[in-house]
Amino acid sequence: MGEEGAEGTVHLLCLAASSGVPLFCRSSRGGAHARQQLPFSVIGSLNGVHMFGQNLEVQLSSARTEDTIVVWKSFHDSITLIVLSSEEGTSELRLERLLQMVFGAMVLLVGLEELTNICNVERLKKELRASYRLIDSFLGDSELIGDLTQCVDCVVPPEGSLLQEALSGFAEAAGTAFVSLVVSGRVVTATESWWRLGMPEAVLLPWLVGSLPPQAARDYPVYLPHGSPTVPHRLLTLTLLPDLELCLLCGPRPPLSQLDAQLLERWWQPLLDLLRTCLPLGPRALPAGFPLHTDILGLLLLHLELKRCLFTVEPSRDKEPSPEHRRRLLRSFYTLVTATHFPPEPGQPEKVEAAAHRAQVPRACYLVSGAEEPGTGWRLVALQLGPRLLLLLLSAQSPTYGLRGLATHTLHALTPLL
Amino acid sequence: MTRPAAPGSVIVPDWQESAEGKEYLACILRKNRRRVFGLLERPVLPPPVAIDTASYKIFVSGKSGVGKTALVAKLAGLEVPVVHHETTGIQTTVVFWPAKLQASDRVVMFRFEFWDCGESALKKFDHMLPACKDKTDAFLFLFSFTDRASFEDLPGQLARVAGEAPGVVRMVIGSKFDQYMHTDVPERDLTAFRQAWELPLLRVKSVPGRRLADGHTLDGRAGLADMAHVLNSLAEQLWHQDQVAAGLLPTSPEDTPS
Ligand SMILES: Nc1nc2c(ncn2[C@@H]2O[C@H](COP(=O)(O)OP(=O)(O)O)[C@@H](O)[C@H]2O)c(=O)[nH]1
Ligand SMILES: [Mg+2]
Repeated sequence: MGEEGAEGTVHLLCLAASSGVPLFCRSSRGGAHARQQLPFSVIGSLNGVHMFGQNLEVQLSSARTEDTIVVWKSFHDSITLIVLSSEEGTSELRLERLLQMVFGAMVLLVGLEELTNICNVERLKKELRASYRLIDSFLGDSELIGDLTQCVDCVVPPEGSLLQEALSGFAEAAGTAFVSLVVSGRVVTATESWWRLGMPEAVLLPWLVGSLPPQAARDYPVYLPHGSPTVPHRLLTLTLLPDLELCLLCGPRPPLSQLDAQLLERWWQPLLDLLRTCLPLGPRALPAGFPLHTDILGLLLLHLELKRCLFTVEPSRDKEPSPEHRRRLLRSFYTLVTATHFPPEPGQPEKVEAAAHRAQVPRACYLVSGAEEPGTGWRLVALQLGPRLLLLLLSAQSPTYGLRGLATHTLHALTPLL
Repeated sequence: MTRPAAPGSVIVPDWQESAEGKEYLACILRKNRRRVFGLLERPVLPPPVAIDTASYKIFVSGKSGVGKTALVAKLAGLEVPVVHHETTGIQTTVVFWPAKLQASDRVVMFRFEFWDCGESALKKFDHMLPACKDKTDAFLFLFSFTDRASFEDLPGQLARVAGEAPGVVRMVIGSKFDQYMHTDVPERDLTAFRQAWELPLLRVKSVPGRRLADGHTLDGRAGLADMAHVLNSLAEQLWHQDQVAAGLLPTSPEDTPS
């Protein structure tokens, strides 16, 4: 895989399904170049071919050209999303999940009612602007991976139990059960109730918080795409330290003005030093000093039942390839593993029992990326054991015969953490 | 109702330009950019110096698009929004500002917590306005020099928002003053408004300030210099209000100059 110019572009179109009126277009290049904008005629044809199929009761879901994949998806017969991607290593799976996240983000910020019952297109367009920032963060090169894995991006703090205790105490004092502590879009710790949030909101809420410009506190109306798509809830955020935010999900109470300095000081001031050690955890995911083999350049650990994941490309930062490239390698390897090698049981994709059944026996696969000569490509290895799936990116020097052993060892070491 | 403090009567004007003032400003800067503080943090001064912090909540009010979010961002030394997006819900921003008192020569660290709420959120959700007004120490009423309706709406706003809160500081801010060439609000209207309401009135330009050598990071000192007049006026009115409330200053009606 080449380093330069490998990113390609992602274009996203959103249209009102019945009228074909474009509601918005976004692209991974931020639309800086007028050239990057899709011409109206192309938008029209892309929508037309999808509608044409629909009238004949044919579901057009994806198409490929030499360098681009196109995926269509309609939601509630009201909104059509179309994505075109020329990113290297992209796939239908990645793009389908992207569209689900995008629609989730739209519901999160404007509510399902507005999206399924479009009375005033201009007003809807205006309201949807509030979701651009979040949607753009899915299209660009994010440090998070929950959009693809549909698992919540987490980090492992040192002394997690102390944080957990403070969080429960604070939640009770604040009078709400749904509380989490988030560092740069990743969950550090959360209350039981917060962990029970459904998908996609469990992924979307921390992601939203990580994508907003910094504010000391917010009272942000949100609709939960799964749990409460038509009745808004309130997402309250309190920035304890820059990039480290407490998030509360609640109904009409408590008012933001009640979460005052005294309350924060009482519960969090005593933990100030510990909170500071959480700040670098954003990109690192693991506590300082966690022993990892020196061949490891990137790591993705998923707990498929808890729907949480740890993702980092920080190890051996001084070595090649760049963090962006590492993320791209792991993302496309995850897609490959999920779509091809370890697909979910056919027929019952979402069932927990199926997942539990799925692999008492370990499953493993590996891939050597971009090898022109023997011993030069990055190594990628996947290992699934029970509910956990581990993906590693390893340096080219890592001997192929040792990959499985290394992955097994690493998975065992990580198991107490997630 | 307390009369506003006369400009320069409470806070030493331009103190932040002095050598001493510059030293104090260093604690809200880092490598020439503005420091961002979390809710658990405050500026630390070099060990021998210990100063009191005075905290205030300030509700920024005004119709959509007048420049509330831009003003708060500018005060905090953050990027101002270029395209207008209605603010979603309430957002608060903390700004620290050291200032020197005229009366005692003492330096006080002011901590302003600005509450900014999008207009449609205020209309759509009943709980937002009460939360913004709850225990607020000041109201900033914004109008835009390029939007006459926002100026004409001021009396209505003053009544609607701050009507039942006497004894709270009220200030009026005219935004987009950089667009003065295209103004819809002539000076004589401002004079008439001032005479009728006797409220402090400031003019602001919430436009991006000077940048550092890298070409994109905002220069923290330059940004503070752009906004010092607003921060000092706020400090002045709020400190004055506290003195009056504590019975340290006379408030009898005879005292009111005509
Ligand atoms: N030139 C100029 N533009 C401003 C100023 N203040 C705000 N704006 C612009 O006016 C628009 C609306 O500002 P915003 O702060 O979002 O308005 P709000 O709805 O009151 O929060 C934005 O595009 C700002 O960039 C100003 O002082 N000067
Ligand atoms: Mg605003």
